[in-house]
Amino acid sequence: MPAEAQTDRAADPRTQSESLPAAARKEGWWRSGAPWIWLNAMAVGIGVAAVAGLLGLIAARGLAHFWPADVAVLGLTDGTTMIGELVDVEYIDPASFEQTGGRSAGPIERWLVKTGNRRVNGPDFRWVLATSVAERTFPHDVAVFERTEWGNAYGRIAGLYEDGVLAAHGMHAWDELQSRLERVVELREEMAATQATTIDPVNYQLERLRLERRRHVLKGTPEAPDIAREERLLRATYQEAETRLRTLSEAMRRDAVEVVIMDGRTIIQPLSDVIRVWQPNAMSTFDKLLHYMKSLGVFLTGAPREANTEGGIFPAIFGTVMMVLIMAVIVAPLGVVAAVYLREYARQGPLVRLIRIAVNNLAGVPSIVYGVFGLGFFVYLVGGTIDDLFFRQAQPAPTFGTPGLIWASLTLALLTMPVVIVSTEEGLTRIPRAIREGSLALGATKAETLFRLVLPVASPSILTGIILAVARAAGEVAPLMLVGVVKLAPALPVDANPPFIHLERKFMHLGFHIYDVGFQSPNVEAARPLVYATALLLIVIVLVLNLAAITLRNRLESRYEIAEA
Amino acid sequence: MIPGLSWRRHAVDRVTARVVGLGGGAIIGAITLIFFYLLWVAAPIFRPADLSELGAATLPTGSVLALGSNDRVESLYAIDADGRISFADPNTGALQRSEQLVQGPLAAVRLVFPTSDTYALVDEDGAATFVRVWFRRRFDGDVGYLESHVDHLFGGEPLRLGWTPAVRADPHAAPHPWPQFDFYLDESVLRIAVLDAAAGVRLWQFELVDDALAFPRKAEFTPRGTIDRLDFGPRGRWLFTTNLEGGVTLYDIAVLGAATETWSGGVVPDGAQLSIMESLLGRYSLIAADRNGLLTQWILRQGAEGTTLVPARSFEFDTPVAAVVAEPRRKGMMVLDDQGGIHLVHTTSERYLASIPAGLGTPAVGVFSPRSDRIFLAMPDGVLHRYTVTNHHPEISWSALWHKVWYEGYPEPVHSWQSSSADNDFEPKFSFSPLLFGTLKAAFYAMLFATPIAVMGAVYTGYFMAPSMRRWVKPGIEIMAAMPTVILGFLAGLWLAPLVEQNLAGVLSLFVAVPLCMLAFAWLWHLLPARATQPCDGWFAAISIPVLILSAWAVFALDGELERLLFGGDAQAWFLATLGLDYDQRNALVVGIAMGLAVVPVIFAISEDAIHGVPRHLTTGSLALGATNWQTLTRVVILTASPGIFSALMIGLGRAVGETMIVLMATGNTPLMDLNIFQGMRTFAANIAVELPESEVGSSHYRLLFLAALVLFLITFFVNTCAELVRQRLRARYGNL
Repeated sequence: MPAEAQTDRAADPRTQSESLPAAARKEGWWRSGAPWIWLNAMAVGIGVAAVAGLLGLIAARGLAHFWPADVAVLGLTDGTTMIGELVDVEYIDPASFEQTGGRSAGPIERWLVKTGNRRVNGPDFRWVLATSVAERTFPHDVAVFERTEWGNAYGRIAGLYEDGVLAAHGMHAWDELQSRLERVVELREEMAATQATTIDPVNYQLERLRLERRRHVLKGTPEAPDIAREERLLRATYQEAETRLRTLSEAMRRDAVEVVIMDGRTIIQPLSDVIRVWQPNAMSTFDKLLHYMKSLGVFLTGAPREANTEGGIFPAIFGTVMMVLIMAVIVAPLGVVAAVYLREYARQGPLVRLIRIAVNNLAGVPSIVYGVFGLGFFVYLVGGTIDDLFFRQAQPAPTFGTPGLIWASLTLALLTMPVVIVSTEEGLTRIPRAIREGSLALGATKAETLFRLVLPVASPSILTGIILAVARAAGEVAPLMLVGVVKLAPALPVDANPPFIHLERKFMHLGFHIYDVGFQSPNVEAARPLVYATALLLIVIVLVLNLAAITLRNRLESRYEIAEA
Repeated sequence: MIPGLSWRRHAVDRVTARVVGLGGGAIIGAITLIFFYLLWVAAPIFRPADLSELGAATLPTGSVLALGSNDRVESLYAIDADGRISFADPNTGALQRSEQLVQGPLAAVRLVFPTSDTYALVDEDGAATFVRVWFRRRFDGDVGYLESHVDHLFGGEPLRLGWTPAVRADPHAAPHPWPQFDFYLDESVLRIAVLDAAAGVRLWQFELVDDALAFPRKAEFTPRGTIDRLDFGPRGRWLFTTNLEGGVTLYDIAVLGAATETWSGGVVPDGAQLSIMESLLGRYSLIAADRNGLLTQWILRQGAEGTTLVPARSFEFDTPVAAVVAEPRRKGMMVLDDQGGIHLVHTTSERYLASIPAGLGTPAVGVFSPRSDRIFLAMPDGVLHRYTVTNHHPEISWSALWHKVWYEGYPEPVHSWQSSSADNDFEPKFSFSPLLFGTLKAAFYAMLFATPIAVMGAVYTGYFMAPSMRRWVKPGIEIMAAMPTVILGFLAGLWLAPLVEQNLAGVLSLFVAVPLCMLAFAWLWHLLPARATQPCDGWFAAISIPVLILSAWAVFALDGELERLLFGGDAQAWFLATLGLDYDQRNALVVGIAMGLAVVPVIFAISEDAIHGVPRHLTTGSLALGATNWQTLTRVVILTASPGIFSALMIGLGRAVGETMIVLMATGNTPLMDLNIFQGMRTFAANIAVELPESEVGSSHYRLLFLAALVLFLITFFVNTCAELVRQRLRARYGNL
């Protein structure tokens, strides 16, 4: 309606300023409030631009990370060469350049080059002045080595060695490298499989036996003889697996590649540390696209390496999802019951109004307060009591009396409870009285009305509430820092060892991963693109959940408009 | 039972009602539990201490010179004048074992290293033997035994330096002697100071190499005036000389041979006489008591005029003080009055914690157990009086939490939050003021940024915007409310902060230049023929975006020029020179922008609802009466919606106050009290997130963090309740319209 009113006004010739003399017109323009309307419009513009800008920035930086960038070979004026990816261009003010002893008429262009190979070159990144670069080429034979440690290496392949003996060089080296790398990858996968299927379960079982034995000591009962037998068997299996691992890692170290890196130096790179090799300058756009998809896949499904600054974020995704799922399982029934109580069963009066205000207010209580409560109440009080009652054998090491998945889920369930309650109540309020009364008049009990009619009709708003709760929980970090999130969890909360879901374990979380890698990691500069990618993933998850909730709400609204009509 | 209803249906109905009632009640109970649990954890910090008598026992030895116990008070030891140490049961006084340490008789025993029970035993010839008492728990299966040990340090040989211990008896407060010598020992050095009638003050220093004394050095100097007592200061670097009239002189003896006087003055009021002099844990402060019951803490202050002693605070007692005993691990002490009463006080919090009228007379030796949970007083006749102390949080008081406190080593009283340090003798600084200040500062700058954007945006969206555009814009901005704040914080810390630092002039100019550009554009727009602009009414927001982007881009492109023009080439230096504003990369400006962006959608959504919800007949009526659109907006719409806008601002404020991740990542988290927009801050929320995981459960620090959470809870609860009440009033008002 205001917009319509405005159209009316615009059509009315008397309010048009054109008929006024120039001075009055100016005066009239100012007094008409038009400048203010424009400023108000600008405020909206800022809001929209900020939203779009933020999302665009994160998307651009996050997605660009996986694109195999071309590798430049820079011939510097001092005769040295530099090999690396051009990451950034910056213009420095001549004034501040003079302070460092240089001299220039205009702004100085300088490039940020990722030279990699931390072990030999020192820092990953270097600044180089554009003026000091004599030539810049992108030769096809420059390769990028993604390695398990010390970051990427850039250089030309000189030769391939098997057990220290030259096996291939020149043109053949590249093809040979590919096939040998495949072998290494297979060996690596086998090692990981041995670790996952044998070593980890055996360790888990051994720990279980240790606790079993300790329980007998505490109880004063003699230990069962099969404990010792089982332990012997397990140790034998362990030995066997360890021998196997040793052979595999021996086999992995067979091949090495000789790489000429920048400044003409040569390094011998054992293939056992190499994950992937590619020659970006020789790749076609399609190849790069393939490579891009593969990198993205590794990012989403791989485990982190190098203090989380490389590799994938699968454990963080998994942890987030697990935590949120458990939370949803807790919060959904409880929130719905509370809302049904407030709306359907409790006697409406000042007390219920007060409770409603309190519930609303709780939605505004800072999340960190819930974290503090969760740590004190759930972890130390409830968890500590559980340990005292059921896990005496593990003490003094805490089992449940330490931050963990279940406590994080419970804390966030409490945090998001108001969201579910409010949303469910909204849905219940919308249901016309006539529907309930009709059901009761037909002889249904209150419970039957509730289960067969009220809840199904309100189900979209219940679902909306749960989705909003999940979205909020997925993005929340502050309370989790107190009740269970860690930078690197040794094991996923779900594995093949009974009872399969380990609620007491600590877990990784996307939001905390962003904080940790962005602010606590030793190599922030190198990890930054990864943080953008993680942030993008988190935003996508949260936005998709929110959009789902909004869509659901809109559908619900339109449904009732029809019903009312 | 309703007739015709099968029992099963009836039962289901009843059970459902019961379950829902129970569940609903339980959840509401759980929600109130948050408040009560926080209170329950935080409350003990304000509880007074408890001091009660456990009864008396008889020590296995008389003429006790030193007392001590193990950590958990299972074994008590006494060193007597015969040079013998006796370990006894602390409850009965029954002898457990004894050991001859040196040949007596001993003149004095001094505790030289309070946290590790190391003593100097000085015999009448001035030979000093150093011993360390320690305990170990041995396990035989699951049964533990306590073993007591005494080690002789430095090879076990007495250190003979050729001085005789002169102990000047205080004529007034006998039998408490004033030793005219002092020892200082740490991990690397041993220092000894002796008052010699002939030579003045004599000093020795030894370095500790592989637990042996090495590199002996020796010095002498003539002190000013008469001296009756010597005390080492912190790290053995300082030496206090004291006389009975309360005259104290402070010497810097960093270089042993070059003692320099840095301060001299009286530590008791004029005309009064000094009766007690004792140093607190860490030796950073001296406790001086006069004969009228006035106890003053003198703090070593490093100031512009060099290192001096200043009186920080006083405690008054009704009766003269007979002895002062410092706590072994805290900055507290027990004060024994000459009526035999025991008083517990704590210096930092200035609290009188507990007292008990003992009526015993003056004890020969009084000590705390290592954890300060027991007090033992040995009477000259060998009777041991035992007291139990429950005093977990003496360093906290309501006034110390909010007011300025004079901490050791500080030139003046300050508000400070510094919860931990590597040192054992560290004085924790628990002041909520800088945290509250930081919280409000962050919220203030965030609101300063968010309010105009959110409210003006809401006005435009709710009143002027074309409905087809509003359908997209409103959810678009609202969805920002769901944006994880960790992402905003990450962008603020790693992207925005460096950007602002490098383009400070440009960023500051943005706030002026962009609105001006907008106005200029609006003026040009108005010059266009109405026929051309008319279809765009209601789409101004969309039109403004390119203007915004262009003007912002222009300002950034001109950043260098602007910096030269406005700030003489270096904005940060200019602010420092002209306004005295330090620049920190992660500062309130960055937090204001980032947290502002987090708060905008909250304020926007609620105030837009309020504005959009203004009844149509009000606006059409106003327009029909000839008011312009703008007049209708300012005099009718905004006025009617003002409670809603106010409520939106309150809720936004509540969110800004409690936001954690943005502040954590976009500031340096330094607890400063400085309004400077270019400096960071530390907020309650960020402080909790940083410190709680490392805090020891049940400690004062832990409980204080819970109190901080409670304060945060109460602030937001209050603010939100205000907002809710206002909103309900608004709803009632619209119901009438």
